[in-house]
Amino acid sequence: MSSRRSTQSGTSRITDDQIIELVSKLRQLVPEIRNRRSDKVPASKVLQETCNYIRSLHREVDDLSERLSQLLATIDADSAEASIIRSLIAQ
Amino acid sequence: MRSPSSLKQEFLKRWMRGLQRCTSSKKDMNVLERKKVIKLSADLAIASARNGTTSWSRALIANASRDNDNRILAERILGPESDILIKRVSTSVGTVSCNRKIRSKKILKRSCNSVRRVRKGTHLPQKVLAKSIAKRLVQKRTQILKRLVPGGEFMDELSLIEETLDYIAYLRAQVDVMRCIASATELINHD
Repeated sequence: MSSRRSTQSGTSRITDDQIIELVSKLRQLVPEIRNRRSDKVPASKVLQETCNYIRSLHREVDDLSERLSQLLATIDADSAEASIIRSLIAQ
Repeated sequence: MRSPSSLKQEFLKRWMRGLQRCTSSKKDMNVLERKKVIKLSADLAIASARNGTTSWSRALIANASRDNDNRILAERILGPESDILIKRVSTSVGTVSCNRKIRSKKILKRSCNSVRRVRKGTHLPQKVLAKSIAKRLVQKRTQILKRLVPGGEFMDELSLIEETLDYIAYLRAQVDVMRCIASATELINHD
């Protein structure tokens, strides 16, 4: 891995091999790219979809944090519901 | 790479521990404070699950401990391992920030060169022109990706791709678990 890095540190662009590797792995992760054939997906499209995906994940974490903060506010700390959640969570 | 379910379990365990460390002392938090604690403990949970072995996880912890208020909260969330983690993070980020000035000069030079190249090519054939446009698009979108991945601005392209793949896997685990807990809590609330 470190030898790969030292040869690539001088170049600034992403090579085709790296793109192919990224696409094959992103295929399983990013929904939009899943149905396209790898040789037809340009690097810029892959990067764009990846950025969109990360942004949507960030947004979801933010929304879920907000939702959870409101939900947990209404739970009485000593209620039966709270202890159910606590027992579900305690591993 | 670890299986998604083991990632989720690791995240859940750390997230809950972090939350417990915060809520035990502060009983009355308003909604905004609680959201901040939930989000911060979730982010620190995925970062600490990586145990400082990736750049993004170190950058996440470093960003969280940057200003004083956040740092105290982050230390509380991380618990006993906070000393080790924060120390590890600060030493690695320190060396990287020295390269920042050099890299930004390189990026500036690079972008100036590409602009010059395109201006001279008003008589270039379509194919070459299209290639240079595609190249600039890739560069532009790479810059955006660098801003989205924690610590991305300091990475070379190859590391950026590897870090992105790892970061996405952990983000997905985080979202899946949080979604589950939210729906479970909602269900219980509705009784």
